[in-house]
Amino acid sequence: MTAAMQNLFEHAYKALRKAQPQEPGWLSELREEAFENFRALGLPTIKHEEWRWTNLKAIAARDWQPAGPTHIDEAALKPYLIPDADEIRLVFVNGHFAESLCKLPPLPEGLVVQPISRVLESDESLHLKLARYAEQTNPFTALNTALFTDGAYIRAGNSLTVETPIHVLYVSTLDEPAEISPRTLVLAGENAEIRVVESYAGLGSSARFVNSVSEIVAKRNAKIRHVKLLRETDATSHVGWNEINVERDAEVTAHSINLGAGLARNDVHALLAAEGAHCNLNGLVLGHGSQHFDNHVVVEHMLPHGTSNQLYRAVVDDKSRSVFAGKVIVRPGAFATNAQQQNNNLLLSDDAKVDTKPQLEIYCDDVKCSHGATSGQLDPNAVFFLRSRGLDERAARNLLTYAFANDVIEHIRIDAVRTYLETIMAERFAGLLGG
Amino acid sequence: MGAPLLEIKDLHVAVDGTEILHGLNLTVNAGEVHAIMGTNGSGKSTLTKVIAGHPDYEVTKGDVLYNGKSILEEEPEDRARAGIFLAFQYPVEVPGVSNMYFLRSALNAQRKSRGEPELSGAEFLELVKEKARLVDIDSGLLNRSVNEGFSGGEKKRNEIFQLAVLAPTLAILDETDSGLDIDALKTVADGVNSMRDAARAFLLVTHYQRLLNYIEPDRVHVLLDGRIVKSGGKELALQLEDKGYAWIEQETATA
Repeated sequence: MTAAMQNLFEHAYKALRKAQPQEPGWLSELREEAFENFRALGLPTIKHEEWRWTNLKAIAARDWQPAGPTHIDEAALKPYLIPDADEIRLVFVNGHFAESLCKLPPLPEGLVVQPISRVLESDESLHLKLARYAEQTNPFTALNTALFTDGAYIRAGNSLTVETPIHVLYVSTLDEPAEISPRTLVLAGENAEIRVVESYAGLGSSARFVNSVSEIVAKRNAKIRHVKLLRETDATSHVGWNEINVERDAEVTAHSINLGAGLARNDVHALLAAEGAHCNLNGLVLGHGSQHFDNHVVVEHMLPHGTSNQLYRAVVDDKSRSVFAGKVIVRPGAFATNAQQQNNNLLLSDDAKVDTKPQLEIYCDDVKCSHGATSGQLDPNAVFFLRSRGLDERAARNLLTYAFANDVIEHIRIDAVRTYLETIMAERFAGLLGG
Repeated sequence: MGAPLLEIKDLHVAVDGTEILHGLNLTVNAGEVHAIMGTNGSGKSTLTKVIAGHPDYEVTKGDVLYNGKSILEEEPEDRARAGIFLAFQYPVEVPGVSNMYFLRSALNAQRKSRGEPELSGAEFLELVKEKARLVDIDSGLLNRSVNEGFSGGEKKRNEIFQLAVLAPTLAILDETDSGLDIDALKTVADGVNSMRDAARAFLLVTHYQRLLNYIEPDRVHVLLDGRIVKSGGKELALQLEDKGYAWIEQETATA
């Protein structure tokens, strides 16, 4: 480790400590401990097995400063809002709460949608919830705990169903390189049902490092539909950790939709912590230029009768690259587990690259697990078939690509988001859905 | 008799450097139905693919004229837009693309290229309803992904359904009858017969004479080792059914 690397984020940490003197003691202690962890761990390099395909040089090379609060017009936000969505919206600009851009209609009783900064003032029990799920032994999770400025706190009380999607928009706008650490906590109480969209978007051409952590907790028999939507700029390095905790008979469906970033690494860790817990973890990468997307997914079945499904697909064009590593762990005693994992990759150019590593670790008999991965180009017979019916070559290729990607999108059961993504994809694969 | 619609002249075709067709000649006039029969490996499918413009098939000599003009330099989509249709021997599954969406895109691409207005959703639906009745295709299949999970018979019906909706001038059916039960075969035949008219021609590639019991051809050709070695009326098909291909092989060898 170089001397420069040892000092990574020291300035950012000190600056933030100075800026947050009012924080409760428990949070200061938590941050201190987390930053100690980060100092001890350092940034992973390609010598770490879990990082062998993703090089973090761009992050290690700078002495990142925390991004300051700033104002943006609602008009600038428009491309990142979900059209026609009757949504509850929280907006953070450069990691700071932007109240004027939010949409907070009167909420049903039992639903809390607030910035963490406010909850810190009003809810003393927050220390029992925040940073209790995500492992602090991961350097980026630890770093986020040390550095986060704000983020969304979403809690649905027991037996509350909220069909209106809750959209958390983390947008950055920078003229100078800076670091942003958004933090999200989603808690669905027993029998509750909520839909959450977390989107990350960037304005401006400056380099930035976005390091997000989301803790998503479904209590007994709760249902959460979650979408992480990444539309960062090409100058952005995005590292995100989604910690999903699923209790008895609960179900979490989480999608990771990667439409933009220079480099993005998404870790999803789903802990099926009790009997009959279910999760569906799906992901889509649409890469072009020299974008690099890395999705690491770990599902851990702890107790019997759990099910998990994973469908990750990547479409890579130009010199873009997609990495997928998925692991299903079935712990001793987690009998009658049913786990499926599928990763399919479509390469549209000779220079695009895909690495895939599907893994099963099974320490229990009487389980049903399957996994598979495919990588290839568009089926030339299908292209010819469509052309022989009158579609030109580009339209034929676009239609097949759209269909390949849409297989992931169609699993999103938040209607406005699915429709919106279908439109984005149709624009990306031009000439589709017209007429 | 109509004007020549399709003229194939001394056609030589190679795939991966191996020549499959060795100088094939064939003329199909508007309004006619021609059947091409032959054993496996005689070059029947190669002939259909090369007319449709499959990029893997290389024409090394000869020409294919459609409406008097060479089409060898034309892209597959341009041939389709000019009215050439190939019903595939093995219809391709296209997961994630609904039949209706695909077919409307295809029809509108063709109409646009001919300077005709594109069909609205409602107009297209009306057309689809009418044609679905004609080929007796289960309307549930129309909203599913193209051919995905279809039975063999359903796939073939779907080809004929596309044929009916796109209404081409030259329809080439590559072993559409293979593997069909008699009900499905009759449906295919009814579909073809209902579309026969003075301007449209059909090229039926088949192994079996059975199809020709339901679609009466004007001409029957025998394809053997990359050439048409015998042509005749519909009675030739019956002869083949009766005696097989060996006598033609002998006749050709001694000729």
